[in-house]
Amino acid sequence: MSVRRKGPRATIVRIVTYLCLVSVAVIVVFPFVVAFATSTKNSQDIFNYPPTLIPKEPQTIDPTEVALPDVDADADEPLPLYAFPDSDTQFALVDNDVSVAEFRPLDDVDRIIRLDVTSGEKTGEVVIIDGAEEDIFAIEVDGTTVEAYRSRLTSGGQFVSLDDPTDVRVELVNVVEPLQQFGPRLENFEEVLIEKDFGRSLTNTVLVTIAVVSGQILTSILGGYAFARIKFKGSGPLFLLYLGSVMVPFVVLIIPLFQLMLQVGWLDNLSALIIPFMFSAYGTFLMRQFFISIPIEIEEAALLDNASRWKILWRIMVPLARPATATLATFGFLYAWNSFFWPLVIINSGNPDGRVLSLALSTLGGRSSTDLNLVFAGAMVAMAPPILVFLFAQRYFVENSASSGLK
Amino acid sequence: MAEVTFRSVSKQYEGGGPKAVHDLELDIKDGEFMVLVGPSGCGKSTALRMIAGLEEITEGELRIGDRLVNDVPPGDRDIAMVFQNYALYPHMTVRENIGFALEVAKVKKAEIKARTEEAAEMLGLTEYLDRLPKALSGGQRQRVAMGRAIVRSPQVFLMDEPLSNLDAKLRVQMRSEIIQIQKRLGTTMIYVTHDQIEAMTMGHRVAVMRLGVLQQVAHPQELYQRPANLFVAAFIGSPAMNLINVTLDGTAERPTANFAGHTLAIGGGAIERYPQIVDRIGSSVVLGLRPEHFSMEGDFDLPEDQILEFEIELAEAMGAEAHLHIMLDVPVVELDGQPLSAEDGDEILTSTTKIIARIDGVHYVTSGDSLRLGVKTHLAHFFDPDTGLPLS
Repeated sequence: MSVRRKGPRATIVRIVTYLCLVSVAVIVVFPFVVAFATSTKNSQDIFNYPPTLIPKEPQTIDPTEVALPDVDADADEPLPLYAFPDSDTQFALVDNDVSVAEFRPLDDVDRIIRLDVTSGEKTGEVVIIDGAEEDIFAIEVDGTTVEAYRSRLTSGGQFVSLDDPTDVRVELVNVVEPLQQFGPRLENFEEVLIEKDFGRSLTNTVLVTIAVVSGQILTSILGGYAFARIKFKGSGPLFLLYLGSVMVPFVVLIIPLFQLMLQVGWLDNLSALIIPFMFSAYGTFLMRQFFISIPIEIEEAALLDNASRWKILWRIMVPLARPATATLATFGFLYAWNSFFWPLVIINSGNPDGRVLSLALSTLGGRSSTDLNLVFAGAMVAMAPPILVFLFAQRYFVENSASSGLK
Repeated sequence: MAEVTFRSVSKQYEGGGPKAVHDLELDIKDGEFMVLVGPSGCGKSTALRMIAGLEEITEGELRIGDRLVNDVPPGDRDIAMVFQNYALYPHMTVRENIGFALEVAKVKKAEIKARTEEAAEMLGLTEYLDRLPKALSGGQRQRVAMGRAIVRSPQVFLMDEPLSNLDAKLRVQMRSEIIQIQKRLGTTMIYVTHDQIEAMTMGHRVAVMRLGVLQQVAHPQELYQRPANLFVAAFIGSPAMNLINVTLDGTAERPTANFAGHTLAIGGGAIERYPQIVDRIGSSVVLGLRPEHFSMEGDFDLPEDQILEFEIELAEAMGAEAHLHIMLDVPVVELDGQPLSAEDGDEILTSTTKIIARIDGVHYVTSGDSLRLGVKTHLAHFFDPDTGLPLS
């Protein structure tokens, strides 16, 4: 039954409710948006302040479209564009390594005028500034000649106006505002997958996950069916014992399990990530509960049809247990995909070929944490498959949390 | 096709308690339609499941045909069973459901198809062959369950209350369909029900069970007319037989039954069938009167001492007939300390006995009337109140 109030009060209540819900949703989603945005930014963009959610790249222009002054700019490279505060037109940075002279007019020594190092002529007079003797230059500013002294020589960029090729300016590159445009850098992913060897980690993770999930499904179906339907001595206590193992926290098992892996010779080996996790007490419990809920008559009918136990299991019970199997598969997948601590213990840090995604991601974050865009690109690679799985299997999640095995 | 024979078969479930089936002796003939009937917990389903091999037999011998099947697994008994909830395989289409047994038996695909379609044709399921069970109505599911049984041509059909999940109208329809299918195939059929109307209308013979013990096996008509004990008398018939605690009085030639201030003469036919009546004069017995043994005064020519005046508690006009409920100030008849007429969980007043008289529908009777009713006591039944056995 759906109850829906009407009236102005109810509308307000509904609006407030929605606002609350939307804000919570935004808070939840925001980190993912940031991660995704960052993963597509270039290495300069990630340090832009204030940070933006939209990845940006410098706006450029092809050098052939600009009337170049007589400079030795590399004619093949696209030229970045800048904006000067006193002009509406865009300027192309044609040379970012020119010598720049900083002049300070004598009548206003706090003002800095930056000009090409060749401009200005010595008048022959000198001025004493803070106890030092400086030559006086006559420089041209906005059409008038001004007397100034040269306070500093530095290097900067030469900018040419796109509208007026005669308007050539010299300025420090970092004081003019670079023009930016929307520009995601998808090469981040390529770089992470190939250069940072995430491809290998991804393959390992997929391999481990598939093996763990299929192993869990197989053993849980067999165990669950046996506990649900086959009568044998001690099945009750055995099941309780098995189920009780769910209560043992994993940290307690790490050292004995490590010892075991050492004995078997699986240290630093993917087998250690697969074999111990192919058996799941939780999965067996889940399948058992589901099998119990299937009416016994269906199985009896199959028995009367002369079907063997094996045939009944695979032809009747397993197809009927599809929802439980899917639930088990999704949980097993998430567990295997996200597992970090055990791989960290068992795989040597010096063995990149044995790494799984979670390990690779932590290494990436630790070793080159200035490449935040790459770290986030790696995180996106690691996150995408679980999100896809969730999208396809979400109803099994919901079903499971609503009615775990109670059908 | 085969006969099914129970020889002293008992079933004791693990964990003690009374035996679910006690020393069952039953011969079911080849091609017979045998109905096992009884209230819930009477052991009828257990008996059926023992034939199917779904319950182990604790003691005794069970034979299908000449073969002792006590330890034969269900699949090897060559029987088919229809379950109360149909037990269709939910993920298989009707075609796959019907053909599954053949598939297991590794019958060739073409033959599976032919036999499946033949069975579907017989049951009017042809157009539903490719549907899943959930897309079928209750009646259609029931037919699929039948189809699954028929397609195997088994030696014995077992049916465990197959109609109890259907509505009344469909139940009547399926009842006659099952009878026709059994007649057509000629296969031995063992049918379990708690509904005595189904039992009466369907079975060649009916086996009535109570508390794991077989009470009587007979043709339905014989069950009705010659119940072997109080339980069968009370169980078979609808409305049920009126059972009244009476004291016998009168003479050996013309004994009377005295109850609640009434004195009712017993007709000659009854004395012939129940000769012990004469010896019991002066003692308490149970008088059994079918509702149709009552009539309006004047409808039949009955002597004056077989006509009694009753106050009608409730009159139910059914059209062709009317049911008159009469309360008698007599303690109800009990069997093993339980009121016989009580259904499971019913609370009934044990100090008064309700009887129902069925009279011709032409009479207009209203509740509260006082009526003179004739009683055909020559057709009445008499039982020993302690043993429940007839006084024959």
